[in-house]
Amino acid sequence: MATAEKQAELLEKLKNAVIQYDEDTAKEASNEVLAVGMNANDAIFNGLVSGMVEVGKMFEAQEYFVPELLMCADALYAGLDILKPHVQQMDLGVRGSVVIGTVEGDVHDIGKNIVKMMFDVAGFQVYDLGRDVPLDKFLEEQIRTDSDLVCLSAMMTTTMTGMKKVIDDLRKKNPNIKIMIGGAPVSQDVADKYGADGYAKDATNALKDAINMIGSLKKMKDEAEAKKAK
Amino acid sequence: MTQNAMTSKQRVLKLFAGEAVDRVPCFSGMGNVTTEGLKNLGHKFAAIHLDAKMMAEAAATSYKLLGIECGVVPFDLCVEAEAMGCEINVYAHSEDLLYPTIKKKLIHNEAEMEITIPTDIIRRGRVPLMVEAIGLLKNQLGEDAAVGSYVLGPFTLAGQVMELNDLLKLSFKKPDKIAKLLDQCADVIIQVAREYERAGVDYLTVREMGATSDVLSPRIFKSLILPYLKKIFAEIKVPSVLHICGKTNDIVPFMVESGATAISVDQKNDVAETRAKLGPKALIFGNYDPYNVLVAGTPELVRTTMHKCLEDGVSAVWPGCDIWPTVPPENVKAMLDEIANYRRS
Repeated sequence: MATAEKQAELLEKLKNAVIQYDEDTAKEASNEVLAVGMNANDAIFNGLVSGMVEVGKMFEAQEYFVPELLMCADALYAGLDILKPHVQQMDLGVRGSVVIGTVEGDVHDIGKNIVKMMFDVAGFQVYDLGRDVPLDKFLEEQIRTDSDLVCLSAMMTTTMTGMKKVIDDLRKKNPNIKIMIGGAPVSQDVADKYGADGYAKDATNALKDAINMIGSLKKMKDEAEAKKAK
Repeated sequence: MTQNAMTSKQRVLKLFAGEAVDRVPCFSGMGNVTTEGLKNLGHKFAAIHLDAKMMAEAAATSYKLLGIECGVVPFDLCVEAEAMGCEINVYAHSEDLLYPTIKKKLIHNEAEMEITIPTDIIRRGRVPLMVEAIGLLKNQLGEDAAVGSYVLGPFTLAGQVMELNDLLKLSFKKPDKIAKLLDQCADVIIQVAREYERAGVDYLTVREMGATSDVLSPRIFKSLILPYLKKIFAEIKVPSVLHICGKTNDIVPFMVESGATAISVDQKNDVAETRAKLGPKALIFGNYDPYNVLVAGTPELVRTTMHKCLEDGVSAVWPGCDIWPTVPPENVKAMLDEIANYRRS
C-alpha cells in the first residue's frame, strides 16, 4: 500500500490532469493508482471528480468555456475507464438508474452528455437514448429498465414543448418517477408548468446540479464508511 | 406625423439606411411562421419547408394576419448544409411542430475534414426552392412589408456539417483545421447569399448562434470566427444583420466590427449596457424572449417587456430567436400596440 504522501500526490495528479484536460496524464496517474494498490473509489471521487468540481467553478467564472469543458470531460473519462473496473461495489443506500436523452427534433447532445458523465461517475446505471429521440421512446425505455429517474434535454425553444408530452405520459404510468429537464430555453417556470421535479437551465447549472448530486453521494459514502468504522 | 405615415417596408428600409423613422419597427430576420397563419391557409407544418408556394404563403401571413412587419423565409436552419451534401429530416410523419434537422452529417470525425465544396452549390438542395419562395413572397407583400431571408454563420454551419463536439474541441486543439473549414463554409454562405440577393431580398440576417459566449470564449470568437464573418459581410450588398443569441455583452464590439449593418441580440444581452458601449448610432435589434414572453406570457408581460426593450434603446424590436408558431394573436397585438404608442420617457 502506498504512503499517505504518495496517495495525496496521485490524487493531486488526477485532479490537475482533469483541470488541464491532459488525457495522457489522467491515464498515467490512474495506472499508478492501481499499481500502488490505492482505492479506486477514492481516486475517482477525490481525484477526478475534485478536478471536475474545479472545472465547474472555472466554467462559471468564464475562465473555461464549452470546448475546455469537453476536453476536461475526455480526461476524466480516460481515467475513469481505467479505474472503473476496480471500483468496489458500494452500498450507498441509493441504487440509481437513469434514462437520459435529447427530445425529438433536437440534435444537440453536449449538455446531455455532460450530465450523463456525472451519472457515470456517480455509479448510476445510465440508459442513454442519444439525441432526436422520438417522444414515446422515453416511456418505453423507462418501463423496460424500471429506472428511477428520467432526464430530458432540449437545446432549442422549438423542441422544448415536446417535453411536456413525455412528462405527462411518464406521470400517467408512474406517478412517483423523478423527472429532470434541462437545456438552454428551460426555466423554473417551464419546469413547474410541465410538472418536472428538477431542472437545469444551462450547461453550468446542469453541471452544478450533477455535482451537487455527486456531492450528496459523496456525503452518503463518507457516512456509510464512518458507520462501518464504528 | 401620424402613426401610419410610413409603410412597414419604408420604415424598415429607412432604418437600415440610417434615416429617420416615425417609430421603432417590429420585425425579425429569423423564422416567424405561426400556427394561426397555417390554420388560415390549411397547410401542414411539415409540408411548408419543401414547397416554395406554401413557404411564401405561410411567411406572408405573419404580416398579413398578425402585423409583424416583414416576411421571412425559410423557417429551418438546414438549407446550406443540405446543399453541401448533408441529409435532412423534415419529420414528415409528425403532426407536432418539428423543425427540419440534419439527419446525416458530412464530416463524422477529424479524418474526414478534407472536403470539397460542390461547384454548383446554388443549384443543389433547396437553394433554388428558396429563390422561388423569395420571389413569391415579394409578390405577396409588394410595397407593404420588407422581405428578408437568412443564412447561417460559418461556425454554426460548420456545426451542422460536422459533429459539434469535435468542432468545439478542435477549435481549441487544431484551430488551423477549423479555420480552413470555416473559410469553405464562408464561401458557401456568400454564394447562397448572392442567390437570395438576386431573388430580391430586402435584407439578410447571418445567424451565428453557435459562437455565443455561452459556448465559446470571446478570444476564440475574435481570432477564429470574426475573420470569416468579415469576409461574408464584405460580400453582402443588401442591408445585413448579425444575430447571435445567448451571452453576447462581451462580443458586441466584435459583432459591429464584422461589418454587418445591424446587430441582433437576445434576452440575455443587457441592451442598455450595449447601447452605452456602442453609441447612439449603432443599429441594435432585440431582444425579447420569443417563447417565455410572446408565447407563454400574458399580454401584460408582453407590454412590459417591449417597454423595457425600447427604454434600453433597441433600434428595432426583434425576437431573440425564431418566433414559436403557437404565438397567441392577442400577444402580437399587445406587442405592436405597445411599440406604436411608446413615447420615450
